[in-house]
Amino acid sequence: MTLPTEADQYRDPEGVPTLPSSEAELGLDSGFAPEPQSQWKLFRRRFFRHRIAMVALAGLILITIACFSVSWLSPFDPNKQDLLAQPVGPSSAHWLGTDELGRDQLARILKSGQLSLKIGFSVAFLSVALGTAIGAVAGFFGRWADQSLMRLTDLFLVVPELAILAVALHYWGSKDVVIIAVLTALFWMPVARVVRGQVLSIREKEFVEAARAAGASPWRIIVRHIVPNIIGPIMVNMTLAVTAAIITESTLSFLGFGVQPPQSSWGKMLSDAEGYVGTPKAYLIYGPGIAIVLTVLCVNFIGDGLRDAFDPQSEKH
Amino acid sequence: MLTYVGRRVLYAIPVVLVASFLLFWLVRTAYDPCVKLRNTREGATAVRRCQENLGLDQPIPVQYGKWLGNALQGDLGTSSRTNEQVADMLPPAMWNTVQLIFFGSVLSITLALFLGVFSAVRQYSVSDYTFTALAFIGIAMPPFFFGLLAQQFLAVGPKDWFHLNQPIFYIVGLHGPGQSGFNLDYLRHLVLPVLTLTVQSIASWSRFQRTSMLDVMSSDYIRTARAKGVPRRSVIWRHGARNALIPFVTVVALDTGALFGGLIITETIFSIPGMGRLFYDSLNTGDANVLVAWMIISAFFIILFNLIADLLYGLLDPRVRLT
Amino acid sequence: MIGQRRSLIAFVAVAAMALGACGSSGGSKSGAGGTSSTTGRPTPTSGNGTLVIGAEQEMDCADWVASCAGSSWGVWEMMEHTMPRVFEYQQAANGDWENVPSIMMAEAPTVSTVNGKQTITYKINPNAVWSDNEPITSEDFKYTWDQIANGKDIYDRTGYDKIESVDTPDPKTAVVTFKEEYGGWPSLFGGGLYGIMPSHLLQGKSRSKMMANGYSFSGGPWIAKWHRGVDVTLTPNPNWYGEKPKLSKVIFRFIPDTAAEFQAFKSGEVLAIYPQPQLDAVDALKSGIEGADQQINADTGNAEALWMNNAKFPFKSVAVRQAFAYSIDRAAIVKRLFGGIGVTQPQQSLNPPIQSAFADTSAFEKYTLNLNMVNQLMTGDGWTKNGSGIWAKNGKTAAITLNTTTENKRRELTEQIVQQQAKDAGFDVKIKNQTPADLFGKTLPAGNYQLGLYAQVVTSLEPSLCSIACSQNIPSKANDNSGQNWQRINVSGLDPLLETVQNSSNRPEQISASKQADLLMGQNMVSLPIDPLPNISLWSKRISGVKGDNPIFAMFWNLPEWSLNG
Repeated sequence: MTLPTEADQYRDPEGVPTLPSSEAELGLDSGFAPEPQSQWKLFRRRFFRHRIAMVALAGLILITIACFSVSWLSPFDPNKQDLLAQPVGPSSAHWLGTDELGRDQLARILKSGQLSLKIGFSVAFLSVALGTAIGAVAGFFGRWADQSLMRLTDLFLVVPELAILAVALHYWGSKDVVIIAVLTALFWMPVARVVRGQVLSIREKEFVEAARAAGASPWRIIVRHIVPNIIGPIMVNMTLAVTAAIITESTLSFLGFGVQPPQSSWGKMLSDAEGYVGTPKAYLIYGPGIAIVLTVLCVNFIGDGLRDAFDPQSEKH
Repeated sequence: MLTYVGRRVLYAIPVVLVASFLLFWLVRTAYDPCVKLRNTREGATAVRRCQENLGLDQPIPVQYGKWLGNALQGDLGTSSRTNEQVADMLPPAMWNTVQLIFFGSVLSITLALFLGVFSAVRQYSVSDYTFTALAFIGIAMPPFFFGLLAQQFLAVGPKDWFHLNQPIFYIVGLHGPGQSGFNLDYLRHLVLPVLTLTVQSIASWSRFQRTSMLDVMSSDYIRTARAKGVPRRSVIWRHGARNALIPFVTVVALDTGALFGGLIITETIFSIPGMGRLFYDSLNTGDANVLVAWMIISAFFIILFNLIADLLYGLLDPRVRLT
Repeated sequence: MIGQRRSLIAFVAVAAMALGACGSSGGSKSGAGGTSSTTGRPTPTSGNGTLVIGAEQEMDCADWVASCAGSSWGVWEMMEHTMPRVFEYQQAANGDWENVPSIMMAEAPTVSTVNGKQTITYKINPNAVWSDNEPITSEDFKYTWDQIANGKDIYDRTGYDKIESVDTPDPKTAVVTFKEEYGGWPSLFGGGLYGIMPSHLLQGKSRSKMMANGYSFSGGPWIAKWHRGVDVTLTPNPNWYGEKPKLSKVIFRFIPDTAAEFQAFKSGEVLAIYPQPQLDAVDALKSGIEGADQQINADTGNAEALWMNNAKFPFKSVAVRQAFAYSIDRAAIVKRLFGGIGVTQPQQSLNPPIQSAFADTSAFEKYTLNLNMVNQLMTGDGWTKNGSGIWAKNGKTAAITLNTTTENKRRELTEQIVQQQAKDAGFDVKIKNQTPADLFGKTLPAGNYQLGLYAQVVTSLEPSLCSIACSQNIPSKANDNSGQNWQRINVSGLDPLLETVQNSSNRPEQISASKQADLLMGQNMVSLPIDPLPNISLWSKRISGVKGDNPIFAMFWNLPEWSLNG
């Protein structure tokens, strides 16, 4: 009777006796070691069959394209102001209305999306890369490097992130690069933990010994045995990081630490309009708010699809 | 187990010390608590005097050393913003925050558990999809957005629509004027801030619980139990949920530290003078004494929660022996 | 496991109740909020004479003369109700604000010249007492002067450092002798910053320790109790010798978030608010709030301007300063910001509206949007437009950085409008926002800026432009870098005029000099005033007795007259 290894993936296996990994389920013991290529094919097929994830993926691509091509798409220049026009609500001329400076709201939302998406995706990708690297090193090189890296992780967990953010923004200005850099530095820890856990548990396995004895290079070991196990939680973490990055950025704007004009993001638009809740100008809030929710929903559904694809356990009944 | 706890605590001490020095250094480099005096009539003279008083002209490690020396003797110093004793400022703030976090955790854990298990057991049903959608919307909403919407649609709105004398839920502070104690007034004040604080946690934790529950439910031993004829309820709760709790617990413990982040928003919007607010005010004025003391307390809680998680893990999973 | 979990939940529930019950007496200093109510019976939000008012800011300390204080809200929620002062501010029939002796004075202070020195005699009302029934005496005047003039860490000694001595011939008479002529004497011993302090309670003790965290004495109609982080609670002073307050309790509840403050007003949890003139506030007032009265007062002590650094390129040149002024459509900006509440006229003097008696508005009136003038002035100064349409001279473009405070949406809107208008006229404006601490503490004093957008706020009716426009006040070694002339204004002929305004106690002489100074500053375009920041007062119809805004003391100046219906 074995317990699924998903449990392991969320848990620091310090002190946990080794358990069979998904290799067992994949039939590695019995000698059917699937080539990495066909494993990828399997993942791809599974992913593309996940209907909701596909819809979400299409949605996300659509949003991204719309945001980055607003200069060509939109009949309105997102920067053109019209002082004399008081903000109007949604109408046939302006589908989402106009904002405080007379700019078309829809065009504004799409333009701001560029920065929000940029921050979200950059942070997700970079933090995962950083976390994987650190976790792998910690796992592979054992006691000494491991211990010090784990202490480093603890350190990052303990220092209040808002302080680091505020100080960094204070010093280097409220630029998007600074926000990306700091958020990356604050989001890498969970990934590092997961990767480290996997690497540690893999290291002990007999088949690794066997593979080494058979002459397999460490690279092959990593790709074949470690990557498939960690890719699931890593993908999930990436989608969580996108969500967290977009939302944290909006919180930063609310607290006054976010991007400053002329830069604009969904978070900034949302926090600028916070006072309009319950007033006739509430449409200024719902636009960027819904943009954030839609994007995050898409990302999360994609994450669901990814996890289902990489997780050999979850079968559709 | 005692040695395990002891070891963890021992490892934690240098981490906290280094973190406190880091924070002290960061704050001192980036913020000058005396700079606001430049705007007074005395101008630069006042600033200089202030800097001498606070010892800002000395190198930062020396300043930190002084602070540490005092702190170890129980003197946490004075706030450069309000001139109060730091040791006097922290307990009231902590008390307010603890109330929020306590009720928040209770609510989140309970709701997330039940929602997660429920969704998993009825996977792909209408209710599952509904809860999934709600959960995702909860995760996707910035907390201040949710807080303000809650104020409008759960407090101000109903008062207007139903022509009430007072709103059903209050949005200012934890007690009405002249009120104290655990009574209906308190609960009516508590609902919206706790909800705002926990909507993200409930949403994400319930997703986690659902996922790990799904994993567990499709595993061999569950199938075996079912085949053996164990009653369904028992299968779900005794075997399923209990094992699914393991990753859930870890996530909850790690995340509860993150609740601190959402605190600032909640405390600001609902006018509750807690640790989040204190941190924010102190950060803006470079009040290093308060910030470092604050950080040590929060570090304590984060480490505590991590420890509890590990211990709980040991309790829940009999195979795990904590070495 | 079910059994285990059930008991776990039960334990948690019991712990919750226990913790909550402990909360009742836990909050001693501030904590759980609320005053020491012992009956336990719920008091309604308002009614029974308890009024809850929303306050946007909490003061940092209540030691009013010290540098930790100096916040307007501190004045409005606590200082003005508890500290006695010589003058009150009232509005005359013609709309001008003037000093009127307060109830603490038996008669108006008399000015005379003794031995060639300006001398003021204050006669105190024989009925004037502190809350402990001890009389308010001339010793209190002396103590107050001594603390401000000689104490450490004082917020603003202006005026008090010109006093040579305070004599106390009898307990109810104080004679103040000045070292030199000082025209702004009405702002002393009261004004909008400090009041008189009780010497019999504070003499010989640490004033800071006694007051900084709140104090229980009072020389005004109310006694204040400060619960840090939660509220300031005012209860009537039983020994008040003037008109007794009608309400039995007034609570200034701190609500730091403006959006939440409006929600609290709409939900009835607070019955009056005094919000900043931000965009959403203006919006809410435009449509009106049901069940509430409102008042907009544009006659305030705030003047927001585009402050130019006269010593930095390109604003070193008068022509450029003037040209820039002609690029901005100030009327459109004001109309956009405050048109919804009926404020449409731009500010036409660096003297704020309540000091308009001293202003000559024709000085700045001519600066309206006029691109022809821009071209004329710039080309006359040797500039030509480059390929991108930006003015350039000797290889340098007219690139300007505009600094203002973060977290101020109205200012963000203003600066974006300015940026756009400037671009249309050929100036390349970049926006750089900083925290108030950085802006007012470092950037502006050091002169590391070209254009700043912020407001000067005055706390008395006495004009004081010399401190920000006289050349000797440019931060330099001579004044220990403490000068407040951050614009580095140095216009020949301006100094003597402004000094006259500051020092002369001859009103007509002051006014004439001030108007001439205005004209001079306008001609030289030392900086461009933009909008008057109106004060907004909002109160529920359930409150009677509200008489409207007071530019120094806010809408709360006649709090004793307020009462609640229903």
